[in-house]
Amino acid sequence: MNDVWNQIRLSWTWLTASAQWHGDDGIPHRLLQHVIYSGVSLACAAVIGLALGLLVGHTGRGGFVVVSLANLARAIPTFGLVVYVVLVHYSITAALIALVALAVPPILVNTYEGLRGVDADAKDAASGMGMTGWGVLWRAEVPMALPLILLGLRTSAIQVVATATIVAYPGFGGLGRYIIDGLARNDYQLVVGGTVLVVLLALIVQIVFAALRRLVVSPGLLGTARSS
Amino acid sequence: MITFEGVTKRYPDGTVALDDVSLECPTGRITVFVGTSGGGKTTALRTINRMVEPTAGRVLIDGGDVRERKPAELRRGIGYVIQHAGLFPHRTIEDNIATVPYLLRWNKKKARAAAHELMERVGLDPSMARRYPFQLSGGQQQRVGVARALAADPPIMLMDEPFSAVDPVVRAELQDEFLRLQAELHKTIVFVTHDIDEAIKLGDRVAVFQTGGKLVQVDAPEDLLAHPADDFVAGFIGQNRGIRTLGFAETGGLRLSGDAVFAASADAADAAGLDWVLVVDADRRPLGWARPADETGPLAEARLAPVGATFRAGADSVRVALDAAVLSPAGLAVGVDEAGAVVGTAGGADLLAVPTHGPAHHRADRAADRPAGAPEPADAPAKGGAGD
Repeated sequence: MNDVWNQIRLSWTWLTASAQWHGDDGIPHRLLQHVIYSGVSLACAAVIGLALGLLVGHTGRGGFVVVSLANLARAIPTFGLVVYVVLVHYSITAALIALVALAVPPILVNTYEGLRGVDADAKDAASGMGMTGWGVLWRAEVPMALPLILLGLRTSAIQVVATATIVAYPGFGGLGRYIIDGLARNDYQLVVGGTVLVVLLALIVQIVFAALRRLVVSPGLLGTARSS
Repeated sequence: MITFEGVTKRYPDGTVALDDVSLECPTGRITVFVGTSGGGKTTALRTINRMVEPTAGRVLIDGGDVRERKPAELRRGIGYVIQHAGLFPHRTIEDNIATVPYLLRWNKKKARAAAHELMERVGLDPSMARRYPFQLSGGQQQRVGVARALAADPPIMLMDEPFSAVDPVVRAELQDEFLRLQAELHKTIVFVTHDIDEAIKLGDRVAVFQTGGKLVQVDAPEDLLAHPADDFVAGFIGQNRGIRTLGFAETGGLRLSGDAVFAASADAADAAGLDWVLVVDADRRPLGWARPADETGPLAEARLAPVGATFRAGADSVRVALDAAVLSPAGLAVGVDEAGAVVGTAGGADLLAVPTHGPAHHRADRAADRPAGAPEPADAPAKGGAGD
């Protein structure tokens, strides 16, 4: 128990020390780097995962193959893959590609499953009333699949935020810098402080997605509509 | 008028869903497709709005081949109602109903105004407009489905088992309101059901499909009951075919007798010799049945057996009257007018003497039963009462 308290006190002292809040090695700068790397990776993964997931889910063709491949990719020890790519290629592009590869499967699989789960009667009614293929996708399938699509995005976002620490290995900064430096110097205050920041960022991502869900998902799907 | 000309649908695996179907669905009437599952009735319906493309033959709407129009554009002009309603869970009731108006790019205000008007039409409280489908009962959802199909006022409605998924009480309600609505709107309706009773209740014409996608008979419901084309149709119609035919016989021409009707002020002795008498109050409303032989003094003090069921003379069918006769302890059906006052009574034999109308079929001439050439149903609607 004492140990835990100690760690918390240590990281609190570190986090609140004014030296940590200025300059290139300061928390704001590292945080911004981390957010940018995570954001770029997630955006690329979203484009790939959503496009593929919507295509396969809407047409109903190739679903088995795509989902199997995506799940296979998930089974690869991701951290190992990322470290390997980063250490071998030692470039920011390689690091970002690794993060994208990590983020695509949850988005893809959830988008596909979301579309597949859309009520067949509602789809039949949509096209029977004169919606075109695109109309059915955008006016019926996507809005109804939105809870699962957002879940996929959130899962990927949190994974990316946590894993983006490795960008610090090839020396491109981010919050991972503190952890790696701390480990190298046996400075556990630094390690814990960096970790706490990553956890906080992940929590913020979680909150942002919860807010997004309330904002864009219809109350008719969440069962939260007021009865009046 | 929707016309099927030799329509066949064969799937790549060799299954035949429709086998050379020719038939006409007259404008402003309800044509019911009924049959066993796998009979092709739903497939037939779906060829009309091009949800299914026939392998051979063609479907015409008012003489124009449906394939000459783009599917999406064609469908926006045809109402579509399916089992389980198929509502959009993410849209409010008003926006569900306004689906086709939105597709037709009406402005939002006009589309929602149309939606609210339709909610009242189909018996939904407009205060539900902002609710979501999950907040509605199955019957209410089905009403929304009907309103949604009517939103852009299409001349044609396709209804695929719209009332199958609700309980029998709600189903009967929906059917009655559907008929009331159709009496106002006069849409050309194609209605699919597996329930022969529903087909007979709702259809102006009933088309019976047999497994393998064959159309076996198209007729007015009373003719279908009276003259099934073959054993399949007879079997499908099931039990009590004769009794059900009486559902189409009118009580308008029935001679009702006042001999057994006595005012409550009358004395039991006045009714001596009668087995049962119907006691009525000063407004001639029925109070109950009495046995004069067991009573002395005024009938107002007699022990009364319940009236049981009554029928509205001229408005109800002979079947309803016969039902009332069976339920009455006297074996007599009590006919009442719109105000509920007793007109008279009729016995079972009187009821069975009423001729069932419907044109007689020439059973020997089977060619006359060919669907496309079948006669139109009689045009004159039944008018109850003697008029003024």
